[in-house]
Amino acid sequence: MKTLIAIFLAASCAVYAQDEIEGRRLERDISLINRLPARYLLSGATVHTVSGESIPNGQVLVVNGKIAEVGAEVKTKVAEVIDLNGMHLYPGIVSAASMLGLVEIGAVRATRDYSEVGSYTPDVESWRAVNPDSELIPVARAGGIAYVLPVPVGGVVRGQSGLVQLGGWGIEDMTVQGPVALHVSWPSMNLRLTPKHRVSKPDDWKSPEDQDKNRKKKIKELKEFFADARAYLKAKQAAGNKWNEVPAWEAMLPYLARKKPVMVHANDIRQIKGAVEWAREEKLNLIICGARDAWRVPDLLATNGVSVVYEHVFEQPARDFDEYDSGFRAPGELVEAGVKVAITIGTGRFGASIARDHSHAAAFAAAHGMPVNEAIRSLTLYPAQMLGVDDRIGSIEVGKLATLIAVDRPLLDIRGNVKRMWIQGEKVSLESRHTKLYEKYRRRPVR
Amino acid sequence: MDRLARAFTIATLVLALSPVLAAELRPPGFRPERHRVDALVGAAVVTSPGREIKNGTIVIKEGLLTAVGAKVEVPKGARIWDMTGKTIYAGFIDPYVIHAANTLPVDTTGFIPIRAGSIVDFAGAENHSKVRHPPGSGSGIHGITPQNRLDLDLVPDPKLFKSLRSIGFTTANLAPAEGILRGTGTLVNLGDGSANEIILRRQLFQHAAFEPFDDVYPKSLMGVIAALRQTFYDMEFYRKDRDHHAKNPTTRERPEANSALEALQALRDGQRVVFEPGSSLMVERAGDFVRQFKFGSAIVACGEEWRRPELVKAAGVPFIVPLGFPNAPTLPNEDDWMQVSLDQLRRWDWAAENPAVIHKQGQAVSLTTHGLGDRKSFRKMLKRAIGRGWSENNALAALTTVPAELTGTTAMLGRIEAGKVANLTVVQGSYFNPEDELTEVWVDGRRFEIDSARKPDDEKNQKAIAGAKKKNDLHKLLASRVARHPSEDRGTLATPKAVLVKNATIWTSGPDGNLTNASMLIVDGKIRALGAKADREAKEQGNVHEIDGKGLHAAPGMIDCHSHTSILGGVNESSLPSTAMVGIRDVVNSETDNFYRQLAGGLTVANLLHGSANPIGGRNAVIKLRYGDPPSKMLFAGAPLGIKFALGENVKQSNWGDDRTTRFPQTRMGVVTFHRNRFVAARQYLERMQNYTSNGGRPVRRNLELDVLGEIIEGKRWIHCHSYRQDEMIALMRTMESFDVKIGTLQHVLEGYKIADEIAKHGAGASAFSDWWAYKFEVYDAIPYAGALMWQRGVNVSFNSDSSELARRMNMEAAKAVKYGGVPEQEALKFVTLNPAKQLRIDHLVGSLEPGKHGDFSIWTGSPLDSQSICLQTWLDGKKYFDREEAPKRSIRRREERKQLIAKAKQIATFSAGDDSKSKAARAAFFTRLWEHANNLKTVECLDCQIDGGAR
Repeated sequence: MKTLIAIFLAASCAVYAQDEIEGRRLERDISLINRLPARYLLSGATVHTVSGESIPNGQVLVVNGKIAEVGAEVKTKVAEVIDLNGMHLYPGIVSAASMLGLVEIGAVRATRDYSEVGSYTPDVESWRAVNPDSELIPVARAGGIAYVLPVPVGGVVRGQSGLVQLGGWGIEDMTVQGPVALHVSWPSMNLRLTPKHRVSKPDDWKSPEDQDKNRKKKIKELKEFFADARAYLKAKQAAGNKWNEVPAWEAMLPYLARKKPVMVHANDIRQIKGAVEWAREEKLNLIICGARDAWRVPDLLATNGVSVVYEHVFEQPARDFDEYDSGFRAPGELVEAGVKVAITIGTGRFGASIARDHSHAAAFAAAHGMPVNEAIRSLTLYPAQMLGVDDRIGSIEVGKLATLIAVDRPLLDIRGNVKRMWIQGEKVSLESRHTKLYEKYRRRPVR
Repeated sequence: MDRLARAFTIATLVLALSPVLAAELRPPGFRPERHRVDALVGAAVVTSPGREIKNGTIVIKEGLLTAVGAKVEVPKGARIWDMTGKTIYAGFIDPYVIHAANTLPVDTTGFIPIRAGSIVDFAGAENHSKVRHPPGSGSGIHGITPQNRLDLDLVPDPKLFKSLRSIGFTTANLAPAEGILRGTGTLVNLGDGSANEIILRRQLFQHAAFEPFDDVYPKSLMGVIAALRQTFYDMEFYRKDRDHHAKNPTTRERPEANSALEALQALRDGQRVVFEPGSSLMVERAGDFVRQFKFGSAIVACGEEWRRPELVKAAGVPFIVPLGFPNAPTLPNEDDWMQVSLDQLRRWDWAAENPAVIHKQGQAVSLTTHGLGDRKSFRKMLKRAIGRGWSENNALAALTTVPAELTGTTAMLGRIEAGKVANLTVVQGSYFNPEDELTEVWVDGRRFEIDSARKPDDEKNQKAIAGAKKKNDLHKLLASRVARHPSEDRGTLATPKAVLVKNATIWTSGPDGNLTNASMLIVDGKIRALGAKADREAKEQGNVHEIDGKGLHAAPGMIDCHSHTSILGGVNESSLPSTAMVGIRDVVNSETDNFYRQLAGGLTVANLLHGSANPIGGRNAVIKLRYGDPPSKMLFAGAPLGIKFALGENVKQSNWGDDRTTRFPQTRMGVVTFHRNRFVAARQYLERMQNYTSNGGRPVRRNLELDVLGEIIEGKRWIHCHSYRQDEMIALMRTMESFDVKIGTLQHVLEGYKIADEIAKHGAGASAFSDWWAYKFEVYDAIPYAGALMWQRGVNVSFNSDSSELARRMNMEAAKAVKYGGVPEQEALKFVTLNPAKQLRIDHLVGSLEPGKHGDFSIWTGSPLDSQSICLQTWLDGKKYFDREEAPKRSIRRREERKQLIAKAKQIATFSAGDDSKSKAARAAFFTRLWEHANNLKTVECLDCQIDGGAR
C-alpha cells in the first residue's frame, strides 16, 4: 500500500512542482512539511508587499520564519536561494470570517460545529472546535488562504473567534491568537409583511407595528446585556481580590475596553445603522460583517471609523431597484468613501468548502471599480489590521511572519494557481483531497 | 321576522320541498304573501348600458317585469313606489362567488394546504404513507373532483346574499371552493327563498383553479397543469371507451365507471370551464386547454393581466374580473420602505387599470366581488377602475349584459325589459358614485331595502364639507398612474437589420478558433460572415449597425445547460418518484429580472430543468433569453425535447427529514429498479398504442407519463440526469443502454472524472459544476479538476450554473477549466458555449460564431476568461438586449419611478389615516408576492439548496 502511495505521489510532482523545488523528496501527509534552513532567500518574483510599492524581480529574505529583508536586492547573502522567477509573491490570504474547520459536510449533522444553542454565549470560543485534519483545509490552502477566522453562528452574542493558521500539527500550533473578536448578530429588522391569510401559521402572525415593538425590544435586550457586563466589571473592580467570576461576563471585558473588536453580523441597512449608532454609544471597536447594504451608507461607516467585512460579492442584488452589478461594485464604493474593507467569500452554506475562492471575490470587486491594491489589501493587510494581528501578518514587511504565497499569475487573475506557499517560513504542501483524487484518476488506464 | 319564522318552523320543510307555486295560499302561521303587483314610477331607468328612460315606469307582476317605459300605464291595484330622484339598473350578476368560508383568490404566493390527506395513483407512490384513495368513484388525482355539485347541498346563506345585495347584486353564480377541477356551481337569485326557489341554473359552469396542493401530487403549478391535461384526455378516452364497449358488450371487459369523467362529458354539451389561473402568464395555459379540448370557457382574472395584455388577447375568452386592488401600506419606519420593491409598487399603481386593459384587448369583461377582502369596498374600487380609462357604460355592462351573456341568461337577466326577471338595483343618484346611496334591490319582484350605513345628516354634512376637497384630491391622485409598464425596462435596445463587429478579437468557439482584429457580420439575426468577407458583405448591406471592437473581445452567447432561473410555481414536482407528465414548458416565467442580470453576463440560452427530487423528473424547456417576450416566444425553436432525471441523495430523500422514508426508492438500488420498471412500462405502452393505431380495437388510454418515457425510447427526447456518484451513473447508463437509449447529459456529474472513459463511450455529455463540493456526503469526492479530466478523456464537457446568481458570470466558470487542469483557453470557453450547445443538440444553431448560426454574442473589455473583463453588450438573434452604457440609465429611471411611487403612496396614506380597520385587507394585499417575482433575487437551485447544510 505504501509503495502504491509513493508511486502515486511521485507521479504528482510533475504537476505540482512546488513539491520538488529544493530537489529533495518531501513527505506528503502532513501540512507543515519541509523544515527549510533558518535563512533563505526568495528571489525573482514580483514582490507585492501590499503595505508599500510592489517590487518587480524582487527579493525577500526569510530568517527564522520571519521576513528579515525586502527589496530589489537584499544585502544579506545566503546559501539557500529559491528562484521564483516569473511568479507573484503575496502575503498569505487572511479570511476575516469563515466556516472553515467548523464544518466538514454541511448536510451531515455530525460534522457541523458552528452553531451553538442560546442567545447570549460570549464565552463560546470558535477556534477550539476547528478540526485540524479537515479535508477542506488543504483545499483552502491551495487557494492561498493562510489564516481564517472561524466564526461562531447562532444567538445574539454568539461567542468569540480566534485566528487560525492553516498549517500545523494540531490546533495549538495553528492558533495564531484567540480570542480575537466578539461576534454579535444584530437583531433582524426585517418586517414580515406577508398578509395574515397568506402565512402558514396565521396564529403566529404579527402586525408590522407589533413587529416593530418586538425588534426594538430585542435591541434593548442587547443593550441591557452590555450594560450588565459593564456593571459586572464595576462590581469586580470594587470587590478587589475576592471575587466569584462569571465566565460569560469575563469574556466580555476586553471588548468593553475596546481592546478587541466587536464583529456585528448585519446585512440590512437598518441593522447596519443600528449597529453603528450602538457602537458609538458603547464606544466599541466595531466591524460590520456581512454588510450587504453597507454600500448604501458608506459615509456613515467612514465617519465612524467602522470597518467592513464584505461577504456579498457573489450575490444577487438585494432589491429589484438595485443595479445588476451592485454587489460587485460595493467594495469599490466603500473604499472610495474611505471605509476599510476586507472581502470574504462568506459564512453561508458553501462558506467552508469554497473558502479557497476569496481571491475570486476580490477579483470581481476589482473588475468593478475597486483599486487593485485595495482589493489585495482586502484579502491581507486589512483583515489583519481589523483583527489586531497586523504586527505579525498581512503584508510583506520586515519583522512580519514569512507567510507567503507565490502565484503564477497576478492574484486577481483567477486562472492563476498558487504554486508555493510558506507559513511562518515553513514550506507548506499544496496537495489536497482534490489533487490526490485528480492524480489517482488521471492514472486510471484507458478503458 | 318573517324569515326567522320560516327558518324555525318545521312546516318550512314542506314548503321548501314543494314546487314553487306562487299563487298557492300559505297555511296559517306564516306571514301571508303580499300582493305581487308593483309599479316603480318616476325613476331614471337605465334599461341597458347607455340607454336611459327619464321619468320611466316599471311594472312588476309576480316576479317578472311586465312593462317598462316612459308612458306606461300603471295597472290598477298595483302598489306604487315613488322613485323620483332615483336611478334603476338591471340587477347585477356576479358570475363567480366562491361559496365557502375561504373566498381567497388562487394564491400566487406559494401554496396553502387546503385539505389534509392524500390520494395518488401514480407509479411508485404505492408505499407512500399518506396515500389514500378518496371515497366514492372519481379521479385518482387529488383535487380533481368535477363530479362535485354545489346544487346538491346548497344552503342559501343569508349573510352572503345580504352582503351581495347591499352593493347591488341580485344574481350570483355560486362556485365550489376546493380543488383543481372543483365541480359545478349554481346560478341563483339572491332572494330569501329556498334552494329550489332561488336557483336559476344548476351545474352552470365547471370550475377549475390552477392551485397546487401542499404535499401530494400535484404540488407544483406544472403538476396542476399536467393533472388537468391528463384529466381532459381521460375525459375524451372515457367516452371513446364506453362507445367501444357499447358496440362490443360481450367481447371485452366493461369500462370503468368514473363519476369524475362522467361529469366532464357535460363540456361537450356546451358547459363552460371557468378557469382561475392565478397568474397573468397562466392565462396562456387556460387558453391552450380551451383550444385543444374545444370547450367553452371563461377566465377569472388574477388582477395582474396588465402585465401581459397580449396573452389576454390571445386567450380569446371572456374574463371575469375582480376589483381586489391593493391599498398603499403604512410602515413603522422610513427605512422599512427599503423592503418595498418597485414591482410591488407598480402592482399597486397598475391594479385599478386591469379591467380597462382586459377590455381593450377585446375580451368581454364581467365583474366579480371575488377576491375582495371586504365586499363593501366594491363601489369604491369600481370608481378607481372607472377613473382609469374605463367608462361607466363599460362597467354597467360588466355588471349586467355581459355576465348575462356569459351565464346564458340573456332571456331572463341583464336588461330592464318586459318579460325579464324582476331583478333591479336602485340608487339615489348614480351607482358609480360611491357616495350615492344604494337604497334597495328587487329580486324576483321582491323588494329588499338596504340598510343605510350612513351617519345622521348633520354630522355627515360637517364631515362632507371638510372631506370633499380631500376626496377630490385623493381621486385625482388615484386616477393618474405613476408606474411605468414593466416592458419599458426590458426587451431589445436596438434591432438593426445588420450588425457589424469590427476590429475585435473574436472567440468563435468554432473551427476558426480566435480571430484577431477581425469583423463579424450579422444580417437578419443570423451570422452572415466573419473576417474580411464580413467587411466586404457589410458594404452591400447599406445600413449597418457598427460596433467598434478595437481592443475588445467578442464571444459567442453563453449557454447554461442547467438552470432553474425562470420557473413559475415550483421547480420540483417532488411528490411522486416519476413526474414525466409535468413540464417546465408549461410554466416558463418570462417576468423575472434574472434574465436582465444574466444577459449582463453574456448569457443567451438556458436549459430550464425540473428539480432533482425524483428519479424521473419533469420535462425541460430550452429557452433563449429574449427578455420581454412572453413565455411561448422565449422557447428555443428547434431545440430537441428533454427531460430531467436524477439519482442519489435527493431522489432517495436522504436530506428531506427523518419522516421521509416510505417513498420508493430509498436507496441507490431502488433507483435502478425504478428506472427499469418505468421503461419496461413505457415499452409495453408504446406497443399497445401502436397496436391500437394499426389494428383498432379497444382504445388505449393516453398516459402522459408513459407518453414521455416512450418518446425517450423512440429517441425523440433526451435525458438530462442529475448525477453524483460513479456507480449510479454507470447503473443508469447500463439501464438506458438496455433500452437502446443514449443519455443526453449527465448533470453535475461530480464523480464523472472517475468514469470518464465509460461516459465518453456511452456518448453522454457531462454538464458539470466547475468546483462545488463537500456540501453533501455524495460530493465529498467532487474535484475541480473533473471538467479538465473528462475533457482530456474525450468527454464533451460543459460547466453549468444551477444558480441564477452564478449564471451571471459563466465566463468565470469557464476560466476555472484553465485554472484547474490547464484546459487551453479556447477549449475552456467552449465549456460554456459550443459544448453545452452540443449537449442540447442545438449546436447547428448556436454555440459558436459561424456563418448561418444565430447572431448571439457578447462584447467584452478583454478576454472573456480574464476575471478583470467586463461584459459591455449582449446581442441575441442580432438584437441588442444589454448595453452596459444603458444600464445606469435604466437603473436611475427605475429608482426615480420608485421614489415617485412611494411619494404617492405616502400621500394617499395621509388621506386614509384612521381608516385602518376597513382597508386592512386591501393594505395587506399590497404585500402579496407573486410567483413571477418570488424568486427574483434568490438563488434557485435543484434541491440542494433545501438541505440544512450551511450556516444561517
